[in-house]
Amino acid sequence: MARSNKINLNAILKVTGLLLVIEGLFMLSSLGFSAWYEPVSFSTLVFFNSTHDFLPLLVSGTGVCLIGMILWLLNRNLDQNSIGKREGYIIVSLAWVIISLFGAIPFVLSGVTTNYTDAFFETMSGFTTTGASIFTDIESIPKGIMFWRSMTHWIGGMGIIVLSLAILPILGIGGMQLFVAEVPGITPDKIHPRITQTAKRLWFIYVLFTLVQTALLMLGGLNLFDSLCHAFGTMATGGFSTKNDSIAGFSPYLQYVIIIFMFLAGINFSLHYFALKGKFQKIFSNEELRLYSLIVLVSSLVIASAFISIQGTPVEKAFRDSLFQVVSIVTTTGFVSSNYLLWPFFTWFLLFLLMFTGGCAGSTGGGIKIVRITLLFKNSLLELKRIIHPQAMLPVRLNGKSIPQEIIFNVLAFFLIYIIVFAFGSLLMSFLGLEFESAIGSVASCLGNIGPGLGIVGPVLNYGLIPDAGKWLLAFLMLLGRLELFTVLILFSPTFWRK
Amino acid sequence: MYPFRVKVLVKIIGLLLVIEGLFMLACIPFSVYYGGTDLIPILISAGITIITGGLMWVIRRKYDAHDIGKREGYLIVSLTWVIISFFGSLPFYISGAIPSFTDAYFETMSGFSTTGASILRDIEIVPKGLLFWRSMTHWIGGMGIIVLSIAILPFLGFGGMSLFWAEVPGPEKEKLHPRIAVTARRLWGIYVVLTLAMIILLMLGGMNLFESLCHAFGAMSSGGFSPKNTSLGGYSPYIQYVAIFFMFLAGTNFTLHYLILSGKVKKALSGEELKAYISILIVPSIVIAIILVFARNYGVEQAWRGALFNVVSIITCTGFANEDYMLWPHYAWFIIFLLMFVGGMAGSTSGGIKVVRHVLLFKNVSNVIRRLWHKSAIIPVRLDNKPVNPHILHNILAIFFLYIITFGIGSLLLTATGLDVISSMGSVVTCMGGIGPGLATTGPVANYAHLTDFAKWVLSFMMLLGRLELFTLFIIFHPAFWRR
Repeated sequence: MARSNKINLNAILKVTGLLLVIEGLFMLSSLGFSAWYEPVSFSTLVFFNSTHDFLPLLVSGTGVCLIGMILWLLNRNLDQNSIGKREGYIIVSLAWVIISLFGAIPFVLSGVTTNYTDAFFETMSGFTTTGASIFTDIESIPKGIMFWRSMTHWIGGMGIIVLSLAILPILGIGGMQLFVAEVPGITPDKIHPRITQTAKRLWFIYVLFTLVQTALLMLGGLNLFDSLCHAFGTMATGGFSTKNDSIAGFSPYLQYVIIIFMFLAGINFSLHYFALKGKFQKIFSNEELRLYSLIVLVSSLVIASAFISIQGTPVEKAFRDSLFQVVSIVTTTGFVSSNYLLWPFFTWFLLFLLMFTGGCAGSTGGGIKIVRITLLFKNSLLELKRIIHPQAMLPVRLNGKSIPQEIIFNVLAFFLIYIIVFAFGSLLMSFLGLEFESAIGSVASCLGNIGPGLGIVGPVLNYGLIPDAGKWLLAFLMLLGRLELFTVLILFSPTFWRK
Repeated sequence: MYPFRVKVLVKIIGLLLVIEGLFMLACIPFSVYYGGTDLIPILISAGITIITGGLMWVIRRKYDAHDIGKREGYLIVSLTWVIISFFGSLPFYISGAIPSFTDAYFETMSGFSTTGASILRDIEIVPKGLLFWRSMTHWIGGMGIIVLSIAILPFLGFGGMSLFWAEVPGPEKEKLHPRIAVTARRLWGIYVVLTLAMIILLMLGGMNLFESLCHAFGAMSSGGFSPKNTSLGGYSPYIQYVAIFFMFLAGTNFTLHYLILSGKVKKALSGEELKAYISILIVPSIVIAIILVFARNYGVEQAWRGALFNVVSIITCTGFANEDYMLWPHYAWFIIFLLMFVGGMAGSTSGGIKVVRHVLLFKNVSNVIRRLWHKSAIIPVRLDNKPVNPHILHNILAIFFLYIITFGIGSLLLTATGLDVISSMGSVVTCMGGIGPGLATTGPVANYAHLTDFAKWVLSFMMLLGRLELFTLFIIFHPAFWRR
């Protein structure tokens, strides 16, 4: 790769500008629900009144579009093909921060929160598809803002698909180049062409699934608004709901629909692509998918049998509750159908452990990712074999292909950093006054982009009680987890900036 | 591969049992002196142990110990700890001092694995002969570990251990026997000398012979059993500082002691692991001391001593206590909890993941990040300026992953017995690391008596697993191990 000595700042500004324009347009699309639920008249066009959101959305949407447009126009002469690896890292990290900074504006202008920290936390939680909320009473939020809140998930999900299937593989983060090598597309050194191709294919699947889920939810009696918001939250593995008790009040049918789509959202999107192409053989032989299904199934059965034997829950409800919560945590969605902290100790401790596995690579899920866990297990087992037969060359194999040693080191480094960040993050949170369980729960949950944690940030509570410094820290951890650690950490490495 | 030489296995274990029985007899003077009721039970147990061991040895005496290969090595190492813990629990069980066999086994495994987790609610009512045996199990365990980590494990070829003993001169034969003998003699010499030095220093501080012996055994093996209910909390600052110093030495690689004694001081002090070990001791101690001064109004000396004592005790995996860290602000004991994963230096009597592994793990991370930029460059991870073989790195990374997974699954098993989450996590990490005190209901002033029998067996297994650096035990469960 021909490394340019100077970072191409103009290219970064141009891309960021473009992203801001898109964000602004999405914001404006929330106006429809705002006007529908709260008919616009002259007297409702106000700022900082937490029941009216039309004007705040209009102003922030237009403002964001304008700023983006200016950034884009100033640098329009630039060829996007000149974006290299280094610019890639910066754009990816910066994009999430900047769109969250701007995405928080409607929350503040409409007065649903008076604290910018809270608004930023909520938006970052949205765009990283975490789903951790600072709102105590969600249902009192005007519908336009609420739609924007769920929309941040959906936009975030779109970003993640491109990120994990097109951008990170090129940047070589955390072994990602391997897990997605199956997606067809050209792999030149420059990022641009590959992104466009992959994005078009996979976004199509994403939009399709969202529409199907919305339709299925509406068939179950949910109105359009709630259906859309929950479909956004599901497909992005986000977890923002429009209800205070998340989806606990929904009918079993609706819960099963959500379970199925959460499960689909946690699968590598390139597999969905194969399914549409009719290449089912590739899907059934995928080891990551097998382990993913196995983890979900075994954990749900263990928890369900605990419900039945300890609490005497009816079989169907026990199975539904446990399956729902396991799928919700493993896919890092974070919807809640019952307060798991009231379950027996070990069942919610199991959920806590599942917070680390995450969904499949190339899905919208967060966490460590199943494929990495698979590789780590295989490597550890092989290590035993290597000790017994020191002369034998025993490479780790995945889906029948042997994995280069470099990738294994990369994945192991990822695992170590994940654990270290978790440990130090929890320590910092406990310095900020959270007790042990809340500290480890909030950090595991935010780092894994899940949402509900343990203790004071448990499933029926929210992040409103956390001090501001803690909210910034958690917002940073969401970003770190979302961008697979290295993308952000590399910016702190001195060699990155050296000419 | 060759068939297993089970007969040699029997011979060696027989020999170890005879030695164990003799050590048991060494408790008799204290039993007699303090006039306890434990004389007869100790005699019976020693008798059973010596006779069983003697018989095993006699019927297999013709077999040459030089025949031991790698596979027998793994089996001997794992079985030894299990079997000597079984016989070692006899005195407690027969005397009725610990009426439940599960408890007696837990206590003995905790002793031999130099963990120091106890199920005794009131230690001081136990007869002195038995208390002496309890501390003795630590000391024997410590001896075993030194040989294990510096001679046997490197030979068996894993854990990257072969890296860390390279400095100890000794014959490198294909067979295990000669190397052990040479290394053991040298390092046990150091171990015994340090133990004696500590006993003298403790007695100078006014401690009686019995307690000095017990505490020296507990410190040098990085065990942590104390004959007092309050551990070292009731002793003078001088005694606590002596304990800190010797815990520190016990957590240091014994080959460094050897190098220093042979005059190669500079070489001994220049290692990267030693530097990391010392900074991991100092930095958290300072942080905790500051917390204690501001949040608990401690005096500076008291805060520093409390912090340093507990940090050293946890990192070296000893587990002595001079105060209850569960009473500190929760973020202070959170630090202690994290330190439980660190462990002392490789080649010491401590447990845990070991400092050198952490050093290499971090170097791998920075290497991976650097490689994102210099794609073409092959940069090996270096330790003490020598490139580290990727195989060793692989191994260490695998151990780290298995350690974390085992910790997670172990904690889950304990919560399934009805133990709360904090106590479960604390107990598992402390037993895997061979430390002793955990968190909450298994904290420094509490004990493990209230756990269910199942939980105690799980924890006993964790102690063994941690002690044998996971792989030695896991490998036995691998099908390839048994294939001919």
